[in-house]
Amino acid sequence: MLSTTIHRATRRPRPWQLWCALALLLLLASGGAQAVPAYARQTGSSCADCHAAAYGGGPGGPMLTPYGLRFKMGGYTDTDGNGTKIPVSMQLTETHSAPAKGDSTTNLSEGDLYLAGRVSDNVGGFVKVEADRTGHNTYNTVLRNVDLRFVAKELKFAGKELLLGVSVNNMPGFDDPLNALSASNTISPAGVTGTLLNFSASNAPASRVIGATVYALFDTNWYGEVGTYKSMPTSLQDNLGFNVAGDPGKLSDTGYFRFAYMKDMKSQYFSAGLVGLTTKRELPRNGGPKDDINDLGYDVSYQYLGNREHIVQLSYSNILEKRKYGSTFASPSDPTLFSRSRGNAHDQTLTATYIFKQSYGVTVSHLLSTGSPDPVRYTPNGDPDTTANLISVFWVPFGKDDSYIRWGNLKLSATWFRFTKFNGATSNIFAAPVGTPMTNPGDFNAFSVAASLAF
Amino acid sequence: MTKLILGISAAVLVLGWMLAPPPALAGDAAAGADVFKKECSECHTTKEGRNKKGPSLFGIVGRKAASIPDFNYSDALRARTDWVWTADKLHWYLSQPVKQANPGTKMKYDGLDDPKALDDLITYLGTNH
Repeated sequence: MLSTTIHRATRRPRPWQLWCALALLLLLASGGAQAVPAYARQTGSSCADCHAAAYGGGPGGPMLTPYGLRFKMGGYTDTDGNGTKIPVSMQLTETHSAPAKGDSTTNLSEGDLYLAGRVSDNVGGFVKVEADRTGHNTYNTVLRNVDLRFVAKELKFAGKELLLGVSVNNMPGFDDPLNALSASNTISPAGVTGTLLNFSASNAPASRVIGATVYALFDTNWYGEVGTYKSMPTSLQDNLGFNVAGDPGKLSDTGYFRFAYMKDMKSQYFSAGLVGLTTKRELPRNGGPKDDINDLGYDVSYQYLGNREHIVQLSYSNILEKRKYGSTFASPSDPTLFSRSRGNAHDQTLTATYIFKQSYGVTVSHLLSTGSPDPVRYTPNGDPDTTANLISVFWVPFGKDDSYIRWGNLKLSATWFRFTKFNGATSNIFAAPVGTPMTNPGDFNAFSVAASLAF
Repeated sequence: MTKLILGISAAVLVLGWMLAPPPALAGDAAAGADVFKKECSECHTTKEGRNKKGPSLFGIVGRKAASIPDFNYSDALRARTDWVWTADKLHWYLSQPVKQANPGTKMKYDGLDDPKALDDLITYLGTNH
Protein backbone atom coordinates (compact mmCIF):
# COMPACT_ATOMS: atom_id res chain seq x y z
CA MET A 1 0.00 0.00 0.00
CA LEU A 2 1.17 3.42 -0.82
CA SER A 3 -0.34 5.53 1.86
CA THR A 4 0.38 8.88 0.54
CA THR A 5 -1.29 12.23 0.47
CA ILE A 6 0.24 14.40 3.01
CA HIS A 7 -2.45 16.91 3.71
CA ARG A 8 -5.63 18.06 2.11
CA ALA A 9 -5.75 21.50 0.79
CA THR A 10 -8.19 23.10 3.14
CA ARG A 11 -5.67 23.60 5.87
CA ARG A 12 -2.14 24.71 6.05
CA PRO A 13 0.40 21.89 5.84
CA ARG A 14 3.05 21.82 8.54
CA PRO A 15 6.40 20.10 8.26
CA TRP A 16 5.85 17.83 11.23
CA GLN A 17 2.60 16.60 9.71
CA LEU A 18 4.38 15.86 6.50
CA TRP A 19 7.04 13.86 8.27
CA CYS A 20 4.45 11.88 10.20
CA ALA A 21 2.50 11.12 7.08
CA LEU A 22 5.61 10.10 5.22
CA ALA A 23 6.65 7.86 8.07
CA LEU A 24 3.29 6.17 7.69
CA LEU A 25 3.84 5.96 3.95
CA LEU A 26 7.15 4.23 4.39
CA LEU A 27 5.80 1.96 7.06
CA LEU A 28 3.02 0.78 4.83
CA ALA A 29 4.93 0.74 1.59
CA SER A 30 5.44 -2.98 1.71
CA GLY A 31 2.05 -4.02 3.00
CA GLY A 32 -1.51 -3.42 2.01
CA ALA A 33 -1.79 -6.70 0.25
CA GLN A 34 -4.92 -8.46 -0.81
CA ALA A 35 -3.38 -11.88 -0.88
CA VAL A 36 -6.18 -14.26 -0.13
CA PRO A 37 -5.29 -17.93 -0.09
CA ALA A 38 -8.89 -18.57 1.01
CA TYR A 39 -9.90 -17.84 -2.57
CA ALA A 40 -7.39 -20.39 -3.83
CA ARG A 41 -8.83 -23.00 -1.48
CA GLN A 42 -12.35 -22.12 -2.58
CA THR A 43 -11.66 -22.32 -6.32
CA GLY A 44 -8.89 -24.91 -6.48
CA SER A 45 -7.00 -22.32 -8.49
CA SER A 46 -3.47 -21.19 -7.92
CA CYS A 47 -2.66 -17.67 -6.78
CA ALA A 48 -1.04 -17.24 -10.20
CA ASP A 49 -4.35 -17.74 -11.99
CA CYS A 50 -5.71 -14.46 -10.58
CA HIS A 51 -2.49 -12.57 -9.86
CA ALA A 52 0.13 -12.11 -12.57
CA ALA A 53 2.87 -12.26 -9.94
CA ALA A 54 1.25 -15.15 -8.05
CA TYR A 55 0.67 -12.92 -5.03
CA GLY A 56 -2.10 -10.50 -4.30
CA GLY A 57 -0.37 -7.47 -2.96
CA GLY A 58 2.67 -5.50 -2.01
CA PRO A 59 4.06 -2.37 -3.59
CA GLY A 60 2.94 -3.30 -7.09
CA GLY A 61 -0.63 -4.00 -6.05
CA PRO A 62 -2.70 -7.09 -6.81
CA MET A 63 -1.70 -7.25 -10.50
CA LEU A 64 -4.92 -9.05 -11.38
CA THR A 65 -5.06 -11.12 -14.54
CA PRO A 66 -8.21 -10.99 -16.70
CA TYR A 67 -9.30 -14.20 -14.94
CA GLY A 68 -8.81 -12.50 -11.57
CA LEU A 69 -10.80 -9.50 -12.73
CA ARG A 70 -13.66 -11.79 -13.73
CA PHE A 71 -13.53 -13.54 -10.38
CA LYS A 72 -13.89 -10.16 -8.69
CA MET A 73 -16.76 -9.09 -10.93
CA GLY A 74 -18.42 -12.43 -10.30
CA GLY A 75 -18.66 -11.56 -6.63
CA TYR A 76 -15.86 -13.85 -5.44
CA THR A 77 -18.26 -16.79 -5.83
CA ASP A 78 -16.46 -19.19 -8.20
CA THR A 79 -15.77 -22.58 -6.70
CA ASP A 80 -14.33 -25.96 -7.54
CA GLY A 81 -17.63 -27.36 -6.29
CA ASN A 82 -15.85 -29.54 -3.81
CA GLY A 83 -17.46 -28.66 -0.49
CA THR A 84 -17.46 -25.56 1.67
CA LYS A 85 -14.11 -24.01 2.52
CA ILE A 86 -13.32 -21.81 5.49
CA PRO A 87 -13.27 -18.26 4.09
CA VAL A 88 -10.49 -16.98 6.33
CA SER A 89 -6.90 -16.01 5.54
CA MET A 90 -4.12 -14.14 7.29
CA GLN A 91 -1.11 -12.18 6.20
CA LEU A 92 1.93 -11.07 8.16
CA THR A 93 4.44 -8.55 6.81
CA GLU A 94 7.89 -7.96 8.24
CA THR A 95 9.55 -4.81 6.93
CA HIS A 96 13.00 -3.31 7.09
CA SER A 97 12.64 0.37 6.32
CA ALA A 98 15.57 2.65 5.62
CA PRO A 99 14.49 6.27 5.08
CA ALA A 100 16.91 8.79 3.62
CA LYS A 101 16.65 10.78 6.84
CA GLY A 102 15.94 9.13 10.15
CA ASP A 103 16.53 5.76 11.74
CA SER A 104 16.15 2.46 10.00
CA THR A 105 13.69 0.03 11.52
CA THR A 106 12.92 -3.65 11.22
CA ASN A 107 9.66 -4.94 12.58
CA LEU A 108 6.42 -6.74 12.00
CA SER A 109 4.80 -3.85 10.24
CA GLU A 110 1.38 -5.27 9.49
CA GLY A 111 -0.91 -8.17 10.24
CA ASP A 112 -4.10 -8.75 8.29
CA LEU A 113 -7.15 -10.91 8.75
CA TYR A 114 -9.30 -11.61 5.70
CA LEU A 115 -12.83 -12.90 5.61
CA ALA A 116 -13.03 -13.71 1.96
CA GLY A 117 -15.12 -16.13 0.01
CA ARG A 118 -18.49 -17.20 -1.19
CA VAL A 119 -21.68 -17.61 0.75
CA SER A 120 -23.61 -19.01 -2.19
CA ASP A 121 -23.52 -18.98 -5.98
CA ASN A 122 -24.81 -15.42 -5.83
CA VAL A 123 -23.28 -13.94 -2.69
CA GLY A 124 -19.62 -13.46 -1.81
CA GLY A 125 -17.29 -10.93 -0.30
CA PHE A 126 -13.97 -9.57 0.78
CA VAL A 127 -13.36 -8.06 4.20
CA LYS A 128 -9.93 -7.03 5.44
CA VAL A 129 -9.11 -6.16 9.03
CA GLU A 130 -5.67 -4.60 9.20
CA ALA A 131 -3.38 -4.15 12.19
CA ASP A 132 -0.67 -1.57 11.52
CA ARG A 133 2.33 -1.08 13.74
CA THR A 134 2.19 2.33 15.36
CA GLY A 135 5.02 2.12 17.84
CA HIS A 136 6.97 -0.20 20.06
CA ASN A 137 4.90 -3.40 20.06
CA THR A 138 1.71 -1.42 19.58
CA TYR A 139 -0.66 -1.91 16.72
CA ASN A 140 -3.74 -0.09 15.54
CA THR A 141 -6.48 -2.23 14.08
CA VAL A 142 -8.80 -0.87 11.43
CA LEU A 143 -11.53 -2.22 9.20
CA ARG A 144 -9.74 -1.45 5.95
CA ASN A 145 -11.88 -3.00 3.23
CA VAL A 146 -15.41 -4.23 2.86
CA ASP A 147 -16.79 -5.47 -0.45
CA LEU A 148 -19.92 -7.58 -0.14
CA ARG A 149 -21.53 -8.61 -3.39
CA PHE A 150 -24.70 -10.04 -4.78
CA VAL A 151 -24.50 -11.19 -8.38
CA ALA A 152 -26.93 -12.61 -10.89
CA LYS A 153 -24.97 -14.51 -13.52
CA GLU A 154 -25.63 -15.98 -16.91
CA LEU A 155 -28.49 -13.68 -17.72
CA LYS A 156 -29.29 -12.81 -21.31
CA PHE A 157 -30.02 -9.41 -22.81
CA ALA A 158 -30.47 -8.86 -26.52
CA GLY A 159 -29.08 -12.32 -27.04
CA LYS A 160 -25.83 -11.49 -25.23
CA GLU A 161 -24.47 -12.50 -21.85
CA LEU A 162 -25.30 -10.21 -18.98
CA LEU A 163 -24.05 -10.16 -15.41
CA LEU A 164 -25.74 -7.93 -12.84
CA GLY A 165 -24.31 -7.21 -9.45
CA VAL A 166 -24.55 -5.11 -6.32
CA SER A 167 -21.50 -4.18 -4.27
CA VAL A 168 -21.74 -2.82 -0.75
CA ASN A 169 -18.33 -1.39 -0.01
CA ASN A 170 -16.47 1.19 2.04
CA MET A 171 -14.15 2.69 -0.55
CA PRO A 172 -15.07 4.27 -3.90
CA GLY A 173 -13.10 2.40 -6.54
CA PHE A 174 -12.14 -0.59 -4.44
CA ASP A 175 -14.56 -2.75 -6.38
CA ASP A 176 -13.11 -1.52 -9.68
CA PRO A 177 -13.29 -4.27 -12.31
CA LEU A 178 -10.29 -2.90 -14.21
CA ASN A 179 -8.01 -2.58 -11.20
CA ALA A 180 -6.98 0.78 -12.60
CA LEU A 181 -8.12 2.98 -9.73
CA SER A 182 -5.87 3.54 -6.74
CA ALA A 183 -8.34 2.06 -4.28
CA SER A 184 -8.09 -1.27 -6.07
CA ASN A 185 -4.45 -1.35 -7.15
CA THR A 186 -3.05 0.43 -4.06
CA ILE A 187 -0.77 2.69 -6.11
CA SER A 188 -1.53 6.36 -5.65
CA PRO A 189 0.24 9.68 -5.99
CA ALA A 190 1.64 11.33 -2.89
CA GLY A 191 1.43 15.01 -2.15
CA VAL A 192 -0.14 17.79 -0.15
CA THR A 193 -3.35 17.49 -2.11
CA GLY A 194 -5.18 14.64 -3.79
CA THR A 195 -8.50 13.73 -5.32
CA LEU A 196 -11.28 11.99 -3.44
CA LEU A 197 -10.60 8.94 -5.61
CA ASN A 198 -7.02 8.87 -4.35
CA PHE A 199 -7.62 6.32 -1.62
CA SER A 200 -4.65 7.39 0.45
CA ALA A 201 -5.23 11.14 0.37
CA SER A 202 -5.78 12.58 3.81
CA ASN A 203 -9.46 13.13 4.55
CA ALA A 204 -10.31 10.88 1.60
CA PRO A 205 -13.50 8.82 1.79
CA ALA A 206 -11.58 5.54 1.66
CA SER A 207 -12.58 3.15 4.47
CA ARG A 208 -14.66 5.86 6.16
CA VAL A 209 -17.76 5.69 4.01
CA ILE A 210 -20.31 3.04 3.27
CA GLY A 211 -22.06 2.82 -0.03
CA ALA A 212 -23.66 0.64 -2.61
CA THR A 213 -23.17 0.39 -6.33
CA VAL A 214 -25.11 -1.49 -8.97
CA TYR A 215 -23.13 -2.82 -11.90
CA ALA A 216 -23.62 -4.69 -15.12
CA LEU A 217 -21.27 -6.51 -17.46
CA PHE A 218 -22.75 -6.85 -20.93
CA ASP A 219 -21.40 -9.17 -23.60
CA THR A 220 -18.29 -9.77 -21.43
CA ASN A 221 -16.81 -6.48 -22.64
CA TRP A 222 -18.97 -3.55 -21.59
CA TYR A 223 -19.15 -2.51 -17.95
CA GLY A 224 -21.32 0.06 -16.26
CA GLU A 225 -21.68 0.95 -12.59
CA VAL A 226 -23.50 3.61 -10.60
CA GLY A 227 -23.76 4.08 -6.88
CA THR A 228 -23.73 6.36 -3.90
CA TYR A 229 -21.83 6.70 -0.62
CA LYS A 230 -22.43 8.13 2.79
CA SER A 231 -19.70 8.98 5.25
CA MET A 232 -19.69 7.20 8.57
CA PRO A 233 -20.27 9.22 11.74
CA THR A 234 -17.01 10.13 13.40
CA SER A 235 -17.96 7.96 16.37
CA LEU A 236 -18.21 4.93 14.09
CA GLN A 237 -14.91 5.79 12.40
CA ASP A 238 -13.36 5.90 15.84
CA ASN A 239 -14.88 2.53 16.74
CA LEU A 240 -13.50 1.02 13.55
CA GLY A 241 -10.00 2.12 14.46
CA PHE A 242 -9.60 5.32 12.47
CA ASN A 243 -8.27 8.60 13.78
CA VAL A 244 -11.11 11.09 13.45
CA ALA A 245 -8.63 13.71 12.24
CA GLY A 246 -8.88 11.95 8.89
CA ASP A 247 -12.66 12.33 8.74
CA PRO A 248 -13.75 12.96 5.15
CA GLY A 249 -16.48 15.21 6.53
CA LYS A 250 -20.19 14.88 6.13
CA LEU A 251 -20.83 13.92 2.53
CA SER A 252 -24.14 14.48 0.78
CA ASP A 253 -25.52 14.17 -2.74
CA THR A 254 -22.73 11.72 -3.47
CA GLY A 255 -22.74 9.87 -6.76
CA TYR A 256 -20.25 7.49 -8.33
CA PHE A 257 -20.07 6.05 -11.81
CA ARG A 258 -17.74 3.81 -13.75
CA PHE A 259 -18.00 2.88 -17.41
CA ALA A 260 -15.49 0.71 -19.19
CA TYR A 261 -14.69 -1.44 -22.15
CA MET A 262 -12.48 -4.46 -21.64
CA LYS A 263 -11.25 -7.05 -24.10
CA ASP A 264 -9.70 -10.34 -23.06
CA MET A 265 -7.83 -11.92 -25.97
CA LYS A 266 -6.37 -14.70 -23.80
CA SER A 267 -2.76 -13.79 -24.48
CA GLN A 268 -3.44 -10.06 -24.34
CA TYR A 269 -5.88 -7.81 -22.51
CA PHE A 270 -6.94 -4.23 -22.97
CA SER A 271 -9.25 -1.90 -21.06
CA ALA A 272 -10.34 1.71 -21.16
CA GLY A 273 -12.53 3.33 -18.55
CA LEU A 274 -14.19 6.47 -17.30
CA VAL A 275 -14.84 7.23 -13.65
CA GLY A 276 -16.63 10.00 -11.82
CA LEU A 277 -17.42 11.00 -8.27
CA THR A 278 -19.44 13.96 -7.14
CA THR A 279 -20.24 15.08 -3.62
CA LYS A 280 -20.89 17.97 -1.32
CA ARG A 281 -18.58 17.97 1.67
CA GLU A 282 -19.03 19.59 5.04
CA LEU A 283 -15.61 19.58 6.67
CA PRO A 284 -15.36 20.19 9.53
CA ARG A 285 -18.81 19.00 10.55
CA ASN A 286 -20.01 22.19 12.12
CA GLY A 287 -23.04 22.96 9.99
CA GLY A 288 -21.02 25.41 7.95
CA PRO A 289 -20.82 25.80 4.18
CA LYS A 290 -20.09 22.83 1.99
CA ASP A 291 -17.41 22.23 -0.60
CA ASP A 292 -18.68 21.18 -3.98
CA ILE A 293 -16.33 18.50 -5.33
CA ASN A 294 -16.40 16.73 -8.68
CA ASP A 295 -13.93 14.10 -9.85
CA LEU A 296 -13.75 12.94 -13.44
CA GLY A 297 -11.11 10.64 -14.81
CA TYR A 298 -10.10 8.12 -17.42
CA ASP A 299 -7.75 5.18 -17.49
CA VAL A 300 -6.30 2.66 -19.89
CA SER A 301 -4.55 -0.62 -19.26
CA TYR A 302 -2.85 -3.33 -21.28
CA GLN A 303 -1.55 -6.76 -20.40
CA TYR A 304 0.61 -9.09 -22.43
CA LEU A 305 0.18 -12.53 -20.92
CA GLY A 306 1.34 -14.90 -23.67
CA ASN A 307 1.97 -18.34 -22.21
CA ARG A 308 2.54 -16.70 -18.80
CA GLU A 309 6.32 -17.01 -19.14
CA HIS A 310 6.75 -13.27 -19.70
CA ILE A 311 3.98 -10.97 -18.53
CA VAL A 312 3.86 -7.21 -19.04
CA GLN A 313 1.23 -5.00 -17.44
CA LEU A 314 0.84 -1.30 -18.23
CA SER A 315 -1.70 1.10 -16.80
CA TYR A 316 -2.31 4.81 -16.76
CA SER A 317 -4.96 6.73 -14.86
CA ASN A 318 -5.73 10.43 -14.93
CA ILE A 319 -8.24 11.97 -12.52
CA LEU A 320 -9.09 15.64 -12.31
CA GLU A 321 -10.97 17.01 -9.32
CA LYS A 322 -12.71 20.36 -9.46
CA ARG A 323 -13.45 22.05 -6.15
CA LYS A 324 -15.71 24.91 -5.29
CA TYR A 325 -14.92 25.66 -1.69
CA GLY A 326 -17.75 26.56 0.65
CA SER A 327 -15.59 29.10 2.44
CA THR A 328 -12.31 30.88 2.20
CA PHE A 329 -9.92 31.91 4.94
CA ALA A 330 -7.23 34.48 5.51
CA SER A 331 -3.54 33.77 5.56
CA PRO A 332 -2.24 33.66 9.14
CA SER A 333 0.79 35.63 8.08
CA ASP A 334 -1.05 38.16 5.92
CA PRO A 335 -4.68 38.80 6.92
CA THR A 336 -5.27 40.69 3.69
CA LEU A 337 -4.57 37.56 1.66
CA PHE A 338 -7.41 35.02 1.28
CA SER A 339 -7.53 31.50 -0.05
CA ARG A 340 -9.15 31.01 -3.42
CA SER A 341 -12.77 29.96 -3.68
CA ARG A 342 -12.11 27.47 -6.45
CA GLY A 343 -9.36 25.05 -7.25
CA ASN A 344 -8.53 21.67 -8.60
CA ALA A 345 -6.45 18.63 -7.86
CA HIS A 346 -5.04 16.28 -10.45
CA ASP A 347 -3.75 12.75 -9.90
CA GLN A 348 -1.88 10.81 -12.55
CA THR A 349 -0.34 7.38 -12.22
CA LEU A 350 1.66 5.48 -14.81
CA THR A 351 2.72 1.96 -13.88
CA ALA A 352 4.65 -0.69 -15.77
CA THR A 353 5.33 -4.19 -14.49
CA TYR A 354 7.31 -7.08 -15.94
CA ILE A 355 7.02 -10.55 -14.47
CA PHE A 356 9.07 -13.63 -15.38
CA LYS A 357 7.55 -17.06 -14.80
CA GLN A 358 5.00 -15.43 -12.52
CA SER A 359 7.73 -15.41 -9.88
CA TYR A 360 10.25 -12.63 -10.48
CA GLY A 361 9.19 -9.11 -11.27
CA VAL A 362 9.81 -5.42 -11.30
CA THR A 363 7.30 -2.59 -11.02
CA VAL A 364 7.99 1.03 -11.86
CA SER A 365 5.45 3.78 -11.21
CA HIS A 366 5.52 7.47 -11.98
CA LEU A 367 3.22 9.38 -9.65
CA LEU A 368 2.07 12.93 -10.23
CA SER A 369 -0.02 14.91 -7.78
CA THR A 370 -0.71 18.43 -8.96
CA GLY A 371 -3.18 21.19 -8.26
CA SER A 372 -4.07 24.77 -8.95
CA PRO A 373 -1.88 27.31 -7.14
CA ASP A 374 -3.16 28.81 -3.92
CA PRO A 375 -0.72 30.84 -1.79
CA VAL A 376 -2.86 30.50 1.33
CA ARG A 377 -3.85 26.84 1.19
CA TYR A 378 -0.44 25.60 0.05
CA THR A 379 2.11 27.40 2.13
CA PRO A 380 4.88 28.27 1.80
CA ASN A 381 5.19 27.99 -1.98
CA GLY A 382 1.55 28.26 -3.01
CA ASP A 383 2.07 25.22 -5.22
CA PRO A 384 1.04 21.68 -4.24
CA ASP A 385 2.75 19.81 -7.07
CA THR A 386 4.52 16.62 -6.12
CA THR A 387 6.35 14.08 -8.26
CA ALA A 388 7.34 10.68 -6.96
CA ASN A 389 8.44 7.28 -8.23
CA LEU A 390 8.01 3.80 -6.95
CA ILE A 391 10.47 1.09 -7.99
CA SER A 392 10.03 -2.38 -6.64
CA VAL A 393 11.54 -5.79 -7.36
CA PHE A 394 10.00 -8.94 -5.95
CA TRP A 395 10.14 -12.71 -5.82
CA VAL A 396 7.20 -15.02 -5.21
CA PRO A 397 8.39 -18.61 -4.86
CA PHE A 398 5.01 -20.31 -4.49
CA GLY A 399 1.42 -19.98 -5.67
CA LYS A 400 1.79 -21.57 -9.11
CA ASP A 401 0.19 -24.75 -10.42
CA ASP A 402 3.40 -26.69 -10.00
CA SER A 403 4.33 -25.20 -6.62
CA TYR A 404 4.76 -27.49 -3.66
CA ILE A 405 2.74 -24.97 -1.66
CA ARG A 406 -0.27 -23.58 -3.49
CA TRP A 407 -2.62 -22.33 -0.82
CA GLY A 408 -0.14 -20.39 1.24
CA ASN A 409 2.35 -17.96 -0.19
CA LEU A 410 5.38 -15.78 0.38
CA LYS A 411 6.52 -12.56 -1.23
CA LEU A 412 9.91 -10.99 -0.81
CA SER A 413 10.28 -7.47 -2.13
CA ALA A 414 12.65 -4.54 -2.18
CA THR A 415 11.14 -1.14 -2.82
CA TRP A 416 12.53 2.31 -3.40
CA PHE A 417 10.21 5.27 -3.08
CA ARG A 418 11.66 8.57 -4.25
CA PHE A 419 10.47 12.16 -4.49
CA THR A 420 11.77 14.63 -7.05
CA LYS A 421 9.35 17.47 -6.36
CA PHE A 422 7.38 18.45 -3.28
CA ASN A 423 5.34 21.56 -2.45
CA GLY A 424 6.00 22.56 -6.03
CA ALA A 425 9.74 22.77 -5.42
CA THR A 426 12.68 20.59 -6.31
CA SER A 427 14.74 21.91 -3.40
CA ASN A 428 14.16 23.72 -0.13
CA ILE A 429 10.55 22.59 -0.19
CA PHE A 430 9.58 24.46 2.98
CA ALA A 431 11.28 27.69 1.86
CA ALA A 432 13.65 27.77 4.80
CA PRO A 433 15.48 31.10 5.15
CA VAL A 434 19.07 31.25 4.06
CA GLY A 435 21.35 29.91 6.76
CA THR A 436 18.78 27.50 8.20
CA PRO A 437 18.50 23.76 7.42
CA MET A 438 16.72 23.07 4.17
CA THR A 439 14.53 20.09 3.32
CA ASN A 440 14.73 18.66 -0.18
CA PRO A 441 12.31 16.23 -1.83
CA GLY A 442 14.94 13.50 -1.70
CA ASP A 443 14.91 13.68 2.08
CA PHE A 444 11.60 11.81 1.94
CA ASN A 445 13.05 8.94 -0.10
CA ALA A 446 13.02 5.55 1.47
CA PHE A 447 14.21 2.05 0.74
CA SER A 448 12.46 -0.94 2.24
CA VAL A 449 12.74 -4.70 2.17
CA ALA A 450 9.71 -6.73 3.09
CA ALA A 451 8.64 -10.31 3.54
CA SER A 452 4.93 -11.05 3.38
CA LEU A 453 3.53 -14.41 4.37
CA ALA A 454 -0.06 -15.32 3.54
CA PHE A 455 -1.94 -18.46 4.50
CA MET B 1 9.42 -71.23 -36.82
CA THR B 2 7.80 -68.90 -39.30
CA LYS B 3 4.49 -69.34 -37.52
CA LEU B 4 6.14 -68.52 -34.22
CA ILE B 5 7.65 -65.33 -35.59
CA LEU B 6 4.35 -64.36 -37.14
CA GLY B 7 2.57 -65.15 -33.87
CA ILE B 8 5.01 -63.10 -31.81
CA SER B 9 4.79 -60.23 -34.30
CA ALA B 10 1.03 -60.29 -34.14
CA ALA B 11 1.09 -60.38 -30.35
CA VAL B 12 3.51 -57.45 -30.25
CA LEU B 13 1.31 -55.47 -32.61
CA VAL B 14 -1.81 -56.19 -30.55
CA LEU B 15 -0.01 -55.36 -27.30
CA GLY B 16 1.40 -52.19 -28.84
CA TRP B 17 -2.05 -51.16 -29.99
CA MET B 18 -3.44 -51.79 -26.51
CA LEU B 19 -0.68 -49.88 -24.73
CA ALA B 20 -0.42 -47.01 -27.18
CA PRO B 21 -1.80 -43.67 -26.11
CA PRO B 22 -5.20 -42.81 -27.48
CA PRO B 23 -5.03 -41.58 -31.04
CA ALA B 24 -4.29 -37.91 -31.26
CA LEU B 25 -4.22 -35.42 -34.05
CA ALA B 26 -0.92 -34.64 -35.72
CA GLY B 27 -0.13 -31.59 -33.67
CA ASP B 28 2.89 -30.28 -31.84
CA ALA B 29 2.64 -31.20 -28.18
CA ALA B 30 5.14 -28.54 -27.06
CA ALA B 31 3.17 -25.84 -28.85
CA GLY B 32 0.03 -27.38 -27.37
CA ALA B 33 1.41 -26.91 -23.87
CA ASP B 34 1.57 -23.18 -24.57
CA VAL B 35 -1.96 -23.22 -25.96
CA PHE B 36 -3.07 -24.99 -22.80
CA LYS B 37 -1.51 -22.27 -20.63
CA LYS B 38 -3.22 -19.53 -22.63
CA GLU B 39 -6.60 -21.10 -23.13
CA CYS B 40 -7.23 -23.65 -20.41
CA SER B 41 -4.95 -23.41 -17.39
CA GLU B 42 -7.03 -20.93 -15.42
CA CYS B 43 -9.80 -23.51 -15.02
CA HIS B 44 -8.02 -26.85 -15.57
CA THR B 45 -4.80 -28.61 -14.71
CA THR B 46 -3.25 -31.67 -16.31
CA LYS B 47 -2.33 -33.02 -12.89
CA GLU B 48 -4.03 -36.19 -11.79
CA GLY B 49 -6.63 -35.68 -9.10
CA ARG B 50 -6.41 -31.90 -9.08
CA ASN B 51 -9.58 -30.07 -10.02
CA LYS B 52 -10.00 -26.34 -10.33
CA LYS B 53 -13.18 -24.66 -11.45
CA GLY B 54 -13.04 -27.33 -14.15
CA PRO B 55 -12.01 -30.97 -13.73
CA SER B 56 -8.50 -32.31 -14.10
CA LEU B 57 -7.60 -32.99 -17.73
CA PHE B 58 -5.14 -35.72 -16.82
CA GLY B 59 -5.96 -38.60 -19.14
CA ILE B 60 -8.75 -36.66 -20.79
CA VAL B 61 -8.17 -38.12 -24.25
CA GLY B 62 -10.09 -41.38 -24.28
CA ARG B 63 -11.91 -40.66 -21.00
CA LYS B 64 -15.63 -41.02 -20.61
CA ALA B 65 -17.40 -37.68 -20.13
CA ALA B 66 -18.25 -36.62 -16.55
CA SER B 67 -16.30 -39.51 -15.10
CA ILE B 68 -14.15 -37.96 -12.36
CA PRO B 69 -15.87 -39.08 -9.17
CA ASP B 70 -15.12 -36.05 -6.96
CA PHE B 71 -15.95 -33.34 -9.49
CA ASN B 72 -19.33 -31.67 -9.48
CA TYR B 73 -20.28 -31.80 -13.15
CA SER B 74 -23.29 -30.06 -14.63
CA ASP B 75 -26.39 -32.10 -15.20
CA ALA B 76 -26.01 -31.32 -18.88
CA LEU B 77 -22.68 -33.13 -19.04
CA ARG B 78 -23.73 -35.96 -16.76
CA ALA B 79 -26.55 -36.61 -19.19
CA ARG B 80 -24.05 -37.27 -21.99
CA THR B 81 -23.58 -40.86 -20.98
CA ASP B 82 -22.53 -41.80 -24.49
CA TRP B 83 -19.76 -39.21 -24.77
CA VAL B 84 -16.13 -40.24 -24.75
CA TRP B 85 -13.48 -37.55 -25.10
CA THR B 86 -11.72 -38.91 -28.15
CA ALA B 87 -9.42 -36.60 -30.04
CA ASP B 88 -12.09 -36.09 -32.65
CA LYS B 89 -14.74 -35.38 -30.03
CA LEU B 90 -12.51 -32.86 -28.31
CA HIS B 91 -11.78 -31.22 -31.64
CA TRP B 92 -15.49 -30.88 -32.34
CA TYR B 93 -16.29 -29.70 -28.82
CA LEU B 94 -13.56 -27.11 -28.51
CA SER B 95 -13.90 -25.65 -31.98
CA GLN B 96 -17.17 -23.94 -31.08
CA PRO B 97 -18.72 -22.19 -28.07
CA VAL B 98 -19.14 -25.02 -25.60
CA LYS B 99 -22.58 -23.83 -24.57
CA GLN B 100 -23.56 -24.42 -28.17
CA ALA B 101 -22.00 -27.88 -28.17
CA ASN B 102 -23.62 -28.81 -24.88
CA PRO B 103 -26.36 -26.41 -23.78
CA GLY B 104 -26.56 -26.21 -20.01
CA THR B 105 -22.90 -26.94 -19.36
CA LYS B 106 -21.18 -24.96 -16.61
CA MET B 107 -18.08 -24.57 -18.75
CA LYS B 108 -17.52 -21.15 -20.28
CA TYR B 109 -15.44 -21.18 -23.42
CA ASP B 110 -16.00 -19.46 -26.72
CA GLY B 111 -14.05 -22.02 -28.68
CA LEU B 112 -10.67 -22.09 -30.37
CA ASP B 113 -10.96 -21.08 -33.99
CA ASP B 114 -7.31 -21.74 -34.90
CA PRO B 115 -7.22 -25.35 -36.24
CA LYS B 116 -3.45 -25.64 -35.82
CA ALA B 117 -3.61 -24.47 -32.21
CA LEU B 118 -6.47 -26.86 -31.54
CA ASP B 119 -4.54 -29.79 -33.01
CA ASP B 120 -1.52 -28.84 -30.92
CA LEU B 121 -3.65 -28.59 -27.79
CA ILE B 122 -5.29 -31.97 -28.26
CA THR B 123 -1.95 -33.56 -29.05
CA TYR B 124 -0.60 -32.10 -25.81
CA LEU B 125 -3.60 -33.33 -23.85
CA GLY B 126 -2.98 -36.77 -25.34
CA THR B 127 0.45 -36.84 -23.74
CA ASN B 128 -0.99 -36.38 -20.25
CA HIS B 129 -1.94 -39.82 -19.08
